[in-house]
Amino acid sequence: MTTAAPDTAAVAVALLTYNNAETVKTVAAAAAAGLAQHFPGVRAALVNADAGSSDGTPDLLEAAGLPVVVARYEPPAGERAAVPFHGVPGRGEGLRAAFAAARELKARACVVLEADVASVAPDWIRDLAGPILGDKADFVGPAYARHRWEGTITRLLLAPLVRALYGRRLQQPFGGQQALSARLIDHLLVHPKWNWSGRDVSDLWITGAAIADGFAVWEAWLGPHIVRSRTRTGDLPTMLAETLGAIFTLMDRHQDLWLEVRGSEPLQTIGTPQAPLIEPRPIEVEAMRDAFRLGVRDLGGIWDLILAPDTLGEVLVLEAAPGPVLRFPDDLWARIVYEFALGHHYAVVHREHLLRSLVPLYLGRTAAYVQATRAATAEATERTLEGAALAFERQKPYLVEHWR
Amino acid sequence: MSDWYKDAVFYEVHVKAFMDADGNGVGDFAGLTGKLDYLHDLGVDCLWILPMYPSPLRDDGYDIADFYGIHPAYGSLEDFQKFLDAAHDRGLRVIADLVMNHTSDAHPWFQAARSDPASPYHEYYVWSDSDRTYREARIIFTDTEKSNWTFDPVAKRYYWHRFFSHQPDLNYDNPAVKAAMLDVMRCWLDRGLDGFRCDAVPYLIEREGTSCENLPETHAILKEFRRVIDAEYSGRVLLAEANQWPEDVRPYFADGDEFHMAFHFPLMPRLYMGVRREDRLPITDIFTHTPAIPPNCQWCLFLRNHDELTLEMVTNEERDYMYYAYASDPSMKLNLGIRRRLAPLMDNDRRRIELLNCLLLTLPGSPIVYYGDEIGMGDNVYLGDRNGVRTPMQWSDDRNAGFSSAEPGALYLPVVTDPAYHYQAVNVAAQEKDPASPLNTMRRLIAVRKQSPVFGRGTIEFLRPRNQAVLAYLRAWRDETLLVVANLSARTQPVELDLAAHEGAQPVEMLSRNRFPAVARAPYFLSLGPHGYYWFRLERRDRRPVRYGIEDTAI
Repeated sequence: MTTAAPDTAAVAVALLTYNNAETVKTVAAAAAAGLAQHFPGVRAALVNADAGSSDGTPDLLEAAGLPVVVARYEPPAGERAAVPFHGVPGRGEGLRAAFAAARELKARACVVLEADVASVAPDWIRDLAGPILGDKADFVGPAYARHRWEGTITRLLLAPLVRALYGRRLQQPFGGQQALSARLIDHLLVHPKWNWSGRDVSDLWITGAAIADGFAVWEAWLGPHIVRSRTRTGDLPTMLAETLGAIFTLMDRHQDLWLEVRGSEPLQTIGTPQAPLIEPRPIEVEAMRDAFRLGVRDLGGIWDLILAPDTLGEVLVLEAAPGPVLRFPDDLWARIVYEFALGHHYAVVHREHLLRSLVPLYLGRTAAYVQATRAATAEATERTLEGAALAFERQKPYLVEHWR
Repeated sequence: MSDWYKDAVFYEVHVKAFMDADGNGVGDFAGLTGKLDYLHDLGVDCLWILPMYPSPLRDDGYDIADFYGIHPAYGSLEDFQKFLDAAHDRGLRVIADLVMNHTSDAHPWFQAARSDPASPYHEYYVWSDSDRTYREARIIFTDTEKSNWTFDPVAKRYYWHRFFSHQPDLNYDNPAVKAAMLDVMRCWLDRGLDGFRCDAVPYLIEREGTSCENLPETHAILKEFRRVIDAEYSGRVLLAEANQWPEDVRPYFADGDEFHMAFHFPLMPRLYMGVRREDRLPITDIFTHTPAIPPNCQWCLFLRNHDELTLEMVTNEERDYMYYAYASDPSMKLNLGIRRRLAPLMDNDRRRIELLNCLLLTLPGSPIVYYGDEIGMGDNVYLGDRNGVRTPMQWSDDRNAGFSSAEPGALYLPVVTDPAYHYQAVNVAAQEKDPASPLNTMRRLIAVRKQSPVFGRGTIEFLRPRNQAVLAYLRAWRDETLLVVANLSARTQPVELDLAAHEGAQPVEMLSRNRFPAVARAPYFLSLGPHGYYWFRLERRDRRPVRYGIEDTAI
């Protein structure tokens, strides 16, 4: 890096990169523009934690005109061979290196941007950093303007689960973009429970720790989330296993917190909430239902170890139900997810097998959701999603009772 | 699932023959309960229990003296309930025999009926002052019965019986009989029983000038029973015993609103014939004579059962051939059949036994395994009637084959001690230790069958290779296709199969999971060892990873 590293900066924009030559200039430029427009005169720096790009990604950052600080870390070789769902090997360690660099810079706010998001806009800097610099928030997570059938893992599984566990209605538990206050970063860097070797757990652990330890957690409506990546996986089982596995793992570490939580409350938001987009899209519902049926046929043996007999019975009834429309009750789905969480907790089967065996059930649930919302308005879709999330809260006592 | 019976493997067991827990020489429900884990491990889904009701046992329990009880030799109602609950705990279902057509003459209904013409029970039976009514009805047990009417010296009238004279037929023209039989069914279904194997169903109603079999009025009653059971219970099954040609059994399925299942009687002798003649024709031919059945119905397939290997449903020439082939000793014959078990019928040839089990498990229908056949038990033709195939289950090489601690002379029937099938050699304990034993082979076959619903639900299409000794058929359901190829002969056989319609598919052998060369347009060549067989799943090779349209934005 040739740009002189600054001694201090009020805002650090952290970019965790890995072969993002196609998009990283756009992201860095948007960050620079956002800082210039919304925080003129505020000293800022880019903090780059690169996972070993071979396409010259780090060299493209200087074009943004911001000073660049290199935060070095060594991603685990395993994650470079099989890159996690978010596209950055060793993201947790990259975050730690970036946070350490931000603290060195005495930054009041550290904004983390994904280097492969093509839809990043200067306003994102305003909405992520604003509540931090205004001393209102310690953590700002993202919410996106999405089509109703986008983010089905998040909407039907991760968000309702995290909401029921932590009592906060996060829209995007693995949202990628985020901003942290210096106070929170100081807290995290010395936190005894942040296990840096934990694969892919860091983002959610950070959010959970912020909630648990009483920091002000906000959410920023950022607009569309369009990714152009060569390194992210399109493999559903991998995505589901990694994200849900991260939550299940955290449930063990955060049990002191979530076991006591009842109900949920919305987060403070900045920006304008966006209703789901509802224009028609091609979704292969029948293929999902076929996958569900195949799962019922082939995975009964493993589900038998994970699910309670009544739950498994209800799943079998669903599969056998006649008619073109699959109805997947919200409470059944919540109970399935909780029983998988319990199976993970008690390690009733190899955990990777457990997580992947949820995929056909998730596809059945998704098929039912798509069918239920195909002709619905945006408001009705939101009500459907809210109903699904409430079922997780309603069924939570079942989880708590069986966890102890 | 309400149509669980379509995927199920059934296991026929006689309580008295399976395990004796109280050491009196007769098997009982407590003993059977103790062996449920064995049945669960075998992989069967549903047990069919032969009659367990109080009875004088003049027809092995098919002469019921009390529809609501348990024969004291088998235990108590409480023992039965414990057994049923324990079976359900293991995911096993249970159906029981129910004789609707008649009772024992020792039944209190008949005793009241004969002693008092004014008794409401008198009209529970069919009476006549003459033995010349219904003369068109054939006599079924020609060896023992001269008439379907027997004069009762107490009532001083004739009573009607289609079977033994000690089994008076119930009068289903009397609504009270229908109601009483429904109450009997409700009693057992309320206890949790999963259904009934209904014995002798064609004979419920009599009409002058008819054969008194398969009458429309009989079907109407059976449908009424089904309607009530469907309305009041879920997931229960009715299995019809009607030893008839498939086209004559077909009305018992009606429009899917009478019986769920019925036995396919004519297939069984033809399987034996096909193997003996080393020719697939007898097997493929019977399927051309098998009518389609409603989608919620199912055939029951079996190789052997507690009766003789019945040859009623074959031609006279075929019957002669079967006697020649399988009953060299006249003592092996009984009525119109052969009273032998599977293994002796196959001369104890492991490969032939396995081949027949392969066919049983892959032809369209739900298979029934007869107790003991999974370990290749032998029989004892010197025991009377059909007792030779009802000897105690052979659990170990202990006294009485581990079946009972009673004195050997106290057993209801002696254990098999024929040198080739002696219980010290043929028993469960020994076979459990041997990975290649008949028992473990059967477990594997059942386990593989359960991997695919195609076996229970799929269509069948026979291939016509030039080699007549090879039986090959495609089974298909939804998007899955299986190919079964069997060598009916005792010699190695080559075969070329026309699989052009499946060009590009890759056969995956289901027992080994080995992948075979892909199917091309040219005939697919296979060689089969003596009585060898393959179960293939035809995987479409052009199958790309399925895309659902949600992958790019799923998180």
